[in-house]
Formats: sequence, C-alpha cells, structure tokens
Amino acid sequence: MSRTKPLRKTTQTKDGSRVKPGYFIARALANIRQNLFVNVVTVGTITLALLLIALFLLVFSNMEGVADDWSNRVQITTYFDREMTPPEIEALKGRIQALNGTDKVIYVSKDEAMKRFRARLKGQESLLDGVQPDVLPASLEITLKKASRTSNAVEAYAARLKGIAGISEVQYGAEWVRRFTTFMNFMRVVGAILGSFLGFAALFIVSNTIKLTIYARKDELELLGLVGATRFFIKAPFLIEGILQGAAGSLLAIVLLVGCYMAFLHNTGNFLSFNPASMGLSFLSLSQLAAIFFGGVALGFLGSLTSLKRFISI
Amino acid sequence: MIQLHNVFMSYQREASALNGVTIHVPKGDFVFLTGASGAGKSTLLKLLYGALQPTRGQIVVDGQNVTRMHRSQIPYLRRSIGVVFQDFKLLPNRTVLENVAITLEVLGWGSKEIGKKVYHTLKQVGLEHKLNSSPLRLSGGEQQRVALARALVNEPKLLLADEPTGNLDDENKEQILTIFKEANIRGTTVVVATHDRRLIDNSYKRVIVLDKGHVVEDPHVPH
Repeated sequence: MSRTKPLRKTTQTKDGSRVKPGYFIARALANIRQNLFVNVVTVGTITLALLLIALFLLVFSNMEGVADDWSNRVQITTYFDREMTPPEIEALKGRIQALNGTDKVIYVSKDEAMKRFRARLKGQESLLDGVQPDVLPASLEITLKKASRTSNAVEAYAARLKGIAGISEVQYGAEWVRRFTTFMNFMRVVGAILGSFLGFAALFIVSNTIKLTIYARKDELELLGLVGATRFFIKAPFLIEGILQGAAGSLLAIVLLVGCYMAFLHNTGNFLSFNPASMGLSFLSLSQLAAIFFGGVALGFLGSLTSLKRFISI
Repeated sequence: MIQLHNVFMSYQREASALNGVTIHVPKGDFVFLTGASGAGKSTLLKLLYGALQPTRGQIVVDGQNVTRMHRSQIPYLRRSIGVVFQDFKLLPNRTVLENVAITLEVLGWGSKEIGKKVYHTLKQVGLEHKLNSSPLRLSGGEQQRVALARALVNEPKLLLADEPTGNLDDENKEQILTIFKEANIRGTTVVVATHDRRLIDNSYKRVIVLDKGHVVEDPHVPH
C-alpha cells in the first residue's frame, strides 16, 4: 500500500480560499432572481406571521395603556385623629412620602373637601344650604407607585399607614382594587398565552416554509457538495437569502400594519369607547417596531440555518 | 491513482454491498466497472468520492487515504475528482454556462477567467453555441455533455461516471465515450460504471466485473 500524503487542499490552479464575500451576496441575489416564486412564498409567509404578531402587540400594548389609566384611580385617603397644625401636617406628609411605594401625597383641607363636594352636586347645590363648611374632615390623598397598586401591596401599605401616629382612619376601595388586580392578572396571563401561542405558530409556519423551499433546492445543495464546495461556501448564500427574506418580510409587515392602522384602527377608540381617555389606539413604539424588524431577520436567518443542517451531507 | 484494499461495505440491515474488494487503477488508466444491478458499482464510486465510508478496508485516491479523511476535508478531495451521473444533475433554473461555472466558482475563480474556461470546455464537448440556453431546452445527449463539461472544466485528475449513457441513444453514447477518451488522453484517469455491454465491447479498455460485491473478473489483479 502506498504511503498517504498529509492532506492539503488539492493542488489545483486555484483553490477555494480566494472566494470574495461579494460573491456570496451576488450569488444570494441571483438565487432570489432564479427562484422568485419560492422567495415570494417565503417572504409572504414571514409577512403574514409577523403582521399577526404585530397586530396582537398593538392591541395588547393599548390595553395595557388603558389599564395604566385605570390604575391611577387606586388611591388611599387618610383622616387625622385630631385637628392638625400646618407644621404637623407637613411632618406627617414627609413621613408618608418616606414610605415605600408612595408616589404623591396631597393635603385636602376642609374647605377644599367642601369645594369638591359642591362640585359633585352640580345643579343641586341648594342641598348644601345651611351646612357649615367645616363639616367635612381634612385628609391626605395618597397616590401609589405603579408597582404598589396591586391588592396585596395596597393592603400592606394601608397597614403601615395605620401605624403612623396622628392617623385615625385609612380608606381605599378594597373591593375595587381587588377586582382591578384580578383583571390585570387575567389580562397578563391571557396575553402571555396568546402571545406565546402566536409566536410559536409563526416560528413553526415560517421555519417549515423555509425548510420546504430549501428542500425544493436540495439538488443544488447536493451538486455543490459534489463539485467540492465547503459547508461554508454552500451555506453562505442561503443564509444571506434568509436574512434578506426576513428583512423584506418584516418591512412589509410593518408597512401593512401602518396601512391597517391608518385605514381602520386609529379611530376605533371612539367607536368602541374603549379608551375614553385617549383619541383612539396609539401606534407601536419605535423599539417595538425595531423588535419586529430584527425578529423577522432572525427568523429568516435561523430558519435557513436549521433547515440547511438537514440537507448538507458533507 | 486508485487503490482499494480489501474493502467491505454494508448498509444498515442490508446484505453487504461490497465484500473484500481489492482494485488498483494506475494514473492515466481507463477502466470500465460492470456487473448486474446491485453488484456494487455505484457503492464503489461513492466510496471513491467520499460520499460513503467503508465498513472495513483502505481506500487511497490520488495519494490520499479517504478512509481516514475528516468530513471537512472531503470538499478538497472532490476538487480533483469530476463526477457524472445517469440523471445529469443539472440545475434547471441556471443556464448552461452557469451550470458549468459552478465547479470553478467553488475554486474561487474570477468571472472573466470562468467565462473563458467554460467557453473553451463547452467547445470541447461541442456545445459552445448553447452557452445561454436552459438545460431544459437541451436533448438528453446534450445535457449529459453539459454535465461532462462541468466535471471536466477544472481538469480533474480523476473522472468517475455512474451509468453515464443509461438514458441515451447509440449516437449520443458514442459522443460521450469519445469525450471520455479525449479526457483520458489529456491525462485524466477515467472510471466508468455501466452495464451497457455495447459501450464496453466497442472501447477495448480494462473491464472489472463485480458480482454481489465481489470482483469476479479483472485483467490486472493486484498482487
């Protein structure tokens, strides 16, 4: 048996190390041109999948906005056990402000309380004739930070308030807060389930579409292997193609989303009186749009990468 | 050029495809590999270009031990081997020029050099006027000549052909055989697996007969 030479790139006039990056981009573009139908199908699938996710994101982030508005109503009112002098009130405000979870503390004097009451009875102010302005007690109104607006947190906060000297009574809509917390939790769970379901469905559909399109070109992969192409040489144009498909699909999805928003969604708020605080649904933020774009690019790239593994035998 | 030493090959849960095959093919030789379907001809060719690994035995191609070769080294082995098949394996959505150019693109050639070399090679197989045609518009014989141009364009040391004339009529068979002989004259070692007796009888070349994975006839039995 003859001695075997240490293996090197076979002595040829040229070897493969001279392949320029520009070649792969040109090859990817040529592949797109030569397999136009397959590329249109892939881009279309990515577009639809991302459009569904983007629409979901749009609705969900608007619902969160509405819930945020509502949560501002979680408020605690405290009453004093005696008449307080202004310096005492200031001291008390300071102590409450120092509590964990406090956002704002507002002093409501007896006069201010009466004024508010009068405003509520608009048109029937005569009911208050003869009522002394100091009949209503002075109070402190406390707004909590977002994270402390849940049922449990409010309860714990109220307990801490009661421990402060000078405070006789703490009031908050316990039942309302409890319901609101339940609603928020429900919305988040449903959002997470629906969101991940949509995400998985998109991933599954897109990766299978890419797999099918690569399967349709398995002869090309086989042939490249036969003429001595390295794995990198075979993969690179397909991966660039995947990235371009992902970018095109996500851009198209964003354009369609803007179209849907302009045509139908931006004034549905009025129509549904869904969010009376704002004039309709707000659009996705720039970072959300960027996430959709890069999500699409990643989907195209990873979809191609995992599919190629299956069909390259060298 | 090719040395097989006691090569065994069996696919999973199937009878052995090759049973202790020992063959030596010197550089510049022209060999026909023949035998009934299932005799092991295609398996033997696949072992030579590294598409399969033998169960046992040693295979040396152009001084390189294929059996000890890492998967990442296979592409470099294949750059010195041209392979043609019965079904041509042309890419239908690329032109004739692009199909032949693939071999040189893999090697990193520039597009100008590729254009010249491909034209020259297509001229050798008589298809320079079909440069920009789609392979789908060509006859079977023409398609096989394009496949041959693709295999020969980088002047490989070894040319392997698996039933290259299986789908062709007699006139086309002759043309293909002539191209093999010309490549052989230029120095390429040629191994053609076929069960076409007429092709073999007309060429007066060395014939190795395989039967159920054994070499049953070889005028140059290695000692």
